[in-house]
Amino acid sequence: MSNQTLSRRHFLKTSGLIGGGVVVAVALPGCAFQGPHPIEVADSGFVPNAFLQITPDNNVIFYCPSDEMGQGIRTGLATIVGEELDVDPATMLVKAAGSHEDYNNPEFGVQGTGGSNAVRVFYEPLRQVGADTRALLLNAASLELGIPSDQLRTDRGFVIVGDNRYPYGDFVETASTLEMPVASPLKAPSDFQYIGADAPRIDALAKATGTASFGIDADLPGMVYAVVVRPPVAGSKALKYDDSAARVAPGVQAIVPVSSGIAVIAEGYWQANQAAKKLTVVWEENALSAVTSQQVRRDLKTALDADDDTESTHEGDPDKAFAAADMILETDYYAPFLAHAPMEPLNATLHITEDGAELWTGVQFVGAAQGVLERLTGLPRGDIKIHNQFLGGGFGRRATLSHIVEVAEIAMSIDKPVQLLWSREDDLRHGFYRPAAMMKIKATTDEEGRVTAWQARRSGANITAQTMKNALPGVLPSMPTSLLNGLVGVMDYVFDNWAVDGSSVEGLHETYSLPSYRVSHASVDHGLPTTFWRSVGHSYTSFAVESMMDELAEARQIDPVALRLKNLEGKPRMQNVVAQAGKLMADMSVPETHHLGFAAHSSFGTDVAQIAEVSVTNGNIRVHKVTCVVDCGLAVNPDIVRAQLEGAVMFALTATLYGQIDLDGGAVVQSNFHNYPILRMNESPAVDVVIINSDTPPTGIGEPGVPPLAPAVANAVYRATGQRLRDLPLQLT
Amino acid sequence: MITFSLNGDSVSFTGDPNTPLLWVIRDEFKLKGSKFGCGAGLCGACTMHLDGSAIKTCVLPVAAAADKAVTTIEGLGNPEALHPLQSAWVEHNVPQCGYCQSGQIMAAAALIAEKPGASGDDIDQAMSGNICRCGCYPRIKAAILSVAGSALGYDATAVEARS
Repeated sequence: MSNQTLSRRHFLKTSGLIGGGVVVAVALPGCAFQGPHPIEVADSGFVPNAFLQITPDNNVIFYCPSDEMGQGIRTGLATIVGEELDVDPATMLVKAAGSHEDYNNPEFGVQGTGGSNAVRVFYEPLRQVGADTRALLLNAASLELGIPSDQLRTDRGFVIVGDNRYPYGDFVETASTLEMPVASPLKAPSDFQYIGADAPRIDALAKATGTASFGIDADLPGMVYAVVVRPPVAGSKALKYDDSAARVAPGVQAIVPVSSGIAVIAEGYWQANQAAKKLTVVWEENALSAVTSQQVRRDLKTALDADDDTESTHEGDPDKAFAAADMILETDYYAPFLAHAPMEPLNATLHITEDGAELWTGVQFVGAAQGVLERLTGLPRGDIKIHNQFLGGGFGRRATLSHIVEVAEIAMSIDKPVQLLWSREDDLRHGFYRPAAMMKIKATTDEEGRVTAWQARRSGANITAQTMKNALPGVLPSMPTSLLNGLVGVMDYVFDNWAVDGSSVEGLHETYSLPSYRVSHASVDHGLPTTFWRSVGHSYTSFAVESMMDELAEARQIDPVALRLKNLEGKPRMQNVVAQAGKLMADMSVPETHHLGFAAHSSFGTDVAQIAEVSVTNGNIRVHKVTCVVDCGLAVNPDIVRAQLEGAVMFALTATLYGQIDLDGGAVVQSNFHNYPILRMNESPAVDVVIINSDTPPTGIGEPGVPPLAPAVANAVYRATGQRLRDLPLQLT
Repeated sequence: MITFSLNGDSVSFTGDPNTPLLWVIRDEFKLKGSKFGCGAGLCGACTMHLDGSAIKTCVLPVAAAADKAVTTIEGLGNPEALHPLQSAWVEHNVPQCGYCQSGQIMAAAALIAEKPGASGDDIDQAMSGNICRCGCYPRIKAAILSVAGSALGYDATAVEARS
């Protein structure tokens, strides 16, 4: 199997796959693969380099290139490929794809899931895969039945001739001898049966019965368990450690230093967990060791007040417009560090043998995970198999490789399969965080509320260089470490001095049509690791921008929705979203003690407006209901779109009311859900979602529901109390 | 040796009696449906039934289960024979990442067993010990209400929406 080669961009192959049948792989643009075809042989079955497999008994298996972390991508992409293949996605078996270039995210150039892009970037290519495969089956049916293919039609996995229905599976043998059609015509959206219709999630049954398999559920014969004792301050190294008590604790097999700390390996997780508490370690101090949250806030403010930041982008001449203004608002907004806290703590199970390595985990960056194992183990890439499982939450946290690097170092020290498991304390204290951000917005409008000048500045740590530091060893597995470090150093230097990391300032101006603006940035990095957190820079920039829009409306005594509409000329999609949401808001009748707040924000190609219904009692902010209006282009599965908005509201409300990672002596203070609270059912609002009807290609939906929530709530709190809260989380004085 | 009933079968455990029940069930008896979320009884991902009551097993020493009946998600129902709550979970498209859902369903099942016609307030109270980071709360509540409503003979979801 492993010696078969691929020589064409579009190929067709029969094989001894379990179940047999046709396997179709269509390399996506820019990632055509040449060379040996590493079909993976795992005890769970074969994981071929292919999107579709049709068995002779007419089972359709779809190998999903994107990682399922709750966003519904397995259902979404199965719907897209099933539409053109003419197979009901509910009848497909959907599996996580193995690790292979053919599954690369077309925009990332590496296999991975993030940036709310999966439906958008796979929409056309997977429709083409479905259409070409259907055309192939029709050609085969035509040959076998002796009927011209234009007289055949298909229906839900069957070829139809008159009253006769032939399962696709009848034709896979013949299909395997034919050339794969290319560029087969796609359906007109008006002919869609599955795209655009509500349908059950493909994974709902497994997840309602405890049978869905997550990384933590991997269980190999002879497997041992590892926990890692990590430094209280990120990046600090162990100067010395005493493991005499831990070493003799029940079940302990080994104690080994790894690059992130000291690993304790035992027969059972609980034994490893208990033994780790007996370890005493002296950690070095580093630059982060003296840092407190108060200092971070102070340093970020000082950096903005110093006024020597780097320009990101500008339009027109805001200074001239400010000089002519009769009213200028200039205000600081602040957002703290945040942890992702996915419900499934990070874990990874690795088995290294003479023949290769097999990894069971949940990761948003399969390609880089494979690369980092290649780098660390020295094994050929084709001998490293990744069994990516359902992810028990991602939110960006699983786009980092910390758990993969750790498990590799541990597994290389012991001749057994090993499962690494982080505790919740590990998760909150040793994470990669949404960076803290100070934003200063200076703005003015004409008397009608049209913004005439806008200056938006942000200070804080950058995400891209930090994330690259973590990811590059996996993305570029062959590059020597010294060169990698040099590359990351250059990136840091560039972002500190010359250019602005787009992730740091995204959302500071894009939602509106502003005739003159300037966006700039001051990099301030205290050394706490940072990375993408659901909606990334938008998660804080929207708070500043949308609070300011309400502040401008008040200064001009204009309705906040009307003011926004005046600044959306040339942005018809958002203009419509805001107008629709504004109408809904105008028609809402709420109890006297409830107040409404509005916000809108564009991110990941999608426009969202939200109306928060809020009351304040004894200083406690309660959000009763959130109404969302969203234009995400064509909603492939509207019910999943609604679910993503509902979930985004809850995720963002946690950050709005509670979310805060504090530093004391460089160490993260929060440790578990008692001091890093997550919104619970009794605090959760009702959520209404209105999806704008659209047949334009789909845009992102996993993240865009997050940004507008915090400012919508803050704007409602202002109406309720007269207090303008400019710091997150929102706390009344 | 600690003996208890696990989903109707008598089982024994000879290891450390302080081991939390969760790890005994997952690692010794290989039932992986119950999840580890916090190790401190704060999130409910590990919820099982002990003699019919919902309990957080990441902080419950296995010794506390001696001679009692433990029910896990695997014992509540399975894909071929679903508990009514599991059917409701599927009908309402409840799960997102799905990691917390076993615990959510076990907490809900204990509530419904005790109060078949549970109200929205009952549900809020009984379910506030279970965190869902994906924020599936509106659907979890709707799914439980639909089961509670059938016990009462009406559509409780609609009633709740009007209240």
